[in-house]
Amino acid sequence: MTAEPVPVAAPAPQVTTVAFRDIVVARDGRWILCDASFDIRAGERTALVGPNGGGKTTLVRVMLGLLRPVKGTVTFLDAAGTPLPKPRIGYLSQRSTLSPDAPVSGMDLIRLELDPRPGLRPAKRLDGEARAALSRAGLSPELFERPVGQLSGGQRQRVLLARALAGSPPILVLDEPDTALDAEGMKTLRRIVAEEVNHGRAVVYVTHDSDSMGGADAIWRVDGTVRAVPVS
Amino acid sequence: MIDFLAYPFFQRALLAGLLTAVLCGSLSFFVLLRRLAFVGSGVAHAAFGGVAIAALLGVPTPLGGAAAALAVAWATSRSSGDSSVSEDTAVGVFTVAAMALGVVAIGFLKSNVDLFGLMFGNILTASAADLWFLAGATGAILLLLAWYFRPLLLSSIDDEGAEANGVNVRGMRLLVLSLVGMAVVVALKVVGILLVSALLVLPGAIARPLTDRWPGFLAGSIGAAVLMLLGGLVFSVSVDIAPGAAIILVGTLLFLVSLALRRFRR
Repeated sequence: MTAEPVPVAAPAPQVTTVAFRDIVVARDGRWILCDASFDIRAGERTALVGPNGGGKTTLVRVMLGLLRPVKGTVTFLDAAGTPLPKPRIGYLSQRSTLSPDAPVSGMDLIRLELDPRPGLRPAKRLDGEARAALSRAGLSPELFERPVGQLSGGQRQRVLLARALAGSPPILVLDEPDTALDAEGMKTLRRIVAEEVNHGRAVVYVTHDSDSMGGADAIWRVDGTVRAVPVS
Repeated sequence: MIDFLAYPFFQRALLAGLLTAVLCGSLSFFVLLRRLAFVGSGVAHAAFGGVAIAALLGVPTPLGGAAAALAVAWATSRSSGDSSVSEDTAVGVFTVAAMALGVVAIGFLKSNVDLFGLMFGNILTASAADLWFLAGATGAILLLLAWYFRPLLLSSIDDEGAEANGVNVRGMRLLVLSLVGMAVVVALKVVGILLVSALLVLPGAIARPLTDRWPGFLAGSIGAAVLMLLGGLVFSVSVDIAPGAAIILVGTLLFLVSLALRRFRR
């Protein structure tokens, strides 16, 4: 966690609003979410708060395209309100989806995540971006090429954070990051969140404590549906 | 051994072994990575049913084997999307069903079917035509594997991340199973059903304990398959035993050595 901060590329993000409209999600005959409508905006920290099982992670999974709602839409809009294709979304999940058995290093994983399309292309061209993301996440350079099975749990979580940051996606989603990162990791993450917001990117975090990322610009309470919470 | 190298049948066997090794070694990497050892083996065994039914219907047996292997691969992939049926349950059901149909078909066959040859193959009888077929099909499958390598690898190690990145994760699972099915049929005539199953599991299992990064794992898997095939052939002609069995025994020995080396590394 001693690596120097790396300058952040500042591309002009095209997506300015993610519009959730009338989202309905059901699983095994049980309603998880009913008529959830709200917006996520670029350049803001948006907190999704609420009780366990209220549907916070479900909303995130709908936005990522991992879950199809029964009804409703998630639309990515530019400043003029024109719908855009779903952009790459940086995602740090609540629990690690990266098995320690995976035969990859942080560099391997990020090269793949940055360009998962079929075709015959050299992977080395993505090395610069992969190194920058791992540095920003606070991983020491000597660990970049080390297999994830030889990293500690905290170091693996930093690899996953780097995966979310790689390629400077316009939207960054953090699902209860405080459950997997230590105090030093959370400090790094708060700095990164501030940098991302300053660069006009949307940062969404699922949390029980809306102050955990240094406050929020918008807070939505998710408990079967979505309601705005006044920001103090 | 040197004497044997002068015989065209042995040269053809070596070449068939090399082609099969490269093909199955590459696929074994994904079979192990996706924990499909049982599924891969099941798809291979399903080809038996297809071959027997094709013989009964008088259509080319490779076509029947391919159809059965691909059908089981497809049915397994479809069923595993249902949370109440796991992939190993699905393959367990469909494989035994395909093999049972094969046994029924053999019962109706008037001519004798070389069951032993079907199960164990005989690489020493590979013809020039077999080699051309093997070379063409191996090239095509490897090209597909290389083209889809990136999404296949990402969905094998992080399916959620891959899906969030737009990779068709279900499609990739079906692709791996289909390639396994095709490889089974391609190699069936030369090496037999049991050996194909072994070649889809053992090379990756030999390589995995020796490396923690995918490039070494993939190269090791292909290398282990080549060692198995060539070592097995040499062993077979040296002590005059069935080549299929010799290749599997050499592979098993290499697996045990690999496990021992892993302990030594720690």
